[in-house]
Amino acid sequence: MRTGGSHLSPYGGAGAGEAPGADLAALLGEVARGDRDAFEAVCHHIAAPVFGTVRRVVRDRCQSEEVAQEVLLEVWRAASRFDADRGSAMAWVMVIAHRRAVDRVRSEQKSAARELRAASHAVAYDEVAEKAEANLDHERVRRCLGSLTELQREAVTLAYYGGYTYRQVAALLGVASGTVSTRMRDGLIRLRDCLGVKR
Amino acid sequence: MRIRRPEPHTLAGAYALDALTGTDRAHFEQHLARCEQCSREISGLWEATARLAAAAAIEPPPGLTVRALAAAEQTRQLSPLTRQTPARWPARHAAMTGRAGAAGARAAVPLRRPWMPRLALAAAAACLVAAAIAGVAAHTAAHQLGEQQLRGHAIAAVLAAPDATMLTARITTGGTAAIVMSHRDRSLVFTAAGLRPLRSSQCYELWLMGPAGDKPAGMLPGPRHGMTGPVIASGLQPGDHLGLTIEPAGGSPHPTSAMIMVLAL
Repeated sequence: MRTGGSHLSPYGGAGAGEAPGADLAALLGEVARGDRDAFEAVCHHIAAPVFGTVRRVVRDRCQSEEVAQEVLLEVWRAASRFDADRGSAMAWVMVIAHRRAVDRVRSEQKSAARELRAASHAVAYDEVAEKAEANLDHERVRRCLGSLTELQREAVTLAYYGGYTYRQVAALLGVASGTVSTRMRDGLIRLRDCLGVKR
Repeated sequence: MRIRRPEPHTLAGAYALDALTGTDRAHFEQHLARCEQCSREISGLWEATARLAAAAAIEPPPGLTVRALAAAEQTRQLSPLTRQTPARWPARHAAMTGRAGAAGARAAVPLRRPWMPRLALAAAAACLVAAAIAGVAAHTAAHQLGEQQLRGHAIAAVLAAPDATMLTARITTGGTAAIVMSHRDRSLVFTAAGLRPLRSSQCYELWLMGPAGDKPAGMLPGPRHGMTGPVIASGLQPGDHLGLTIEPAGGSPHPTSAMIMVLAL
């Protein structure tokens, strides 16, 4: 089996000296041509962040496994649609994963109001600190999240890890929805710059 | 309710976080299709959200990759886009996730997950089984044990067995089976997804096949939401094979038609 990088650190936290991002893009090209070994290697790269993200949003373990499997399969199915000129392979995968996760949550959640009442807005951020596996990505993200304003951070983490819409986030935080959408954008831009991601 | 709609561009962050729904999203995607700068911005923001994802990485369940590989075996891949379309990432993602996005509707056939029932199979099987366990726990607390609960108990016991092993197999007439077996408990739990529907005069029947001959191991109930089972089969012997045939309704004491699945246990 071909692998590269650390299982839990897709951006090369533990696998120093390797370039998993570039590997992953190349592997996706092979997957698009139907290469099963390449697909196995891709799964090895992405399974931990895909499952972790889906689990964070969906919560239920059993459903998370199902959604994560759908995501891996979608990567197989749609590999030919990945275009390295438009972004990194990991970002492409994680957009698929996150969308699948929120789609699952929203289709199940007929009563958004009940969910909102049950939610505590402290949860999303605390969980980043407590539950994720310790890895370098995690540390960097934690540090950079810490550099956002409180409202930016809450808006971003409630949407991403909590799977809430920006209108729901506005209701949770008691802030105008226009303010929330602005903070989400500012917050992500600051996060992007702090993390030093390209583009 | 009258909802005030913000300036589209300020929604880029919410869009990248999948925090837009319904008309908010449709409105933004329309804007995105005309705004090259927004498209670039979204790509950059997705790099940031991918880091949020990476930071959430946790050890995946051991069977995840194996099941994905098995499912990939039966999944036809999308062909590359050959037309020179102005499709951007979001458009293609839109097509991919079953949303007819702004440019996505043009760029690719919108797919409403027609392949899902067939393919989520093993995870779905594991989930069915987990649901069975949860159901058992809930029921035993509050009710007397009925036949249903006893069956649930037996299923839960197999799944919780220390030697429980999961296998998957293709069914030649269509569909896929997922089996969890325990030699210690001499039992297995069978589930299937996407079985070809049968006429009312027919049924699917399981067989345990060993040196002593073929033993009927149970008939499959009709599918619910494309999923069949879980069904428990007992009396498993080392070296047995599990078979599946299509039999006249009511079942047969011995297989009367060709095996449509054979699995070494």
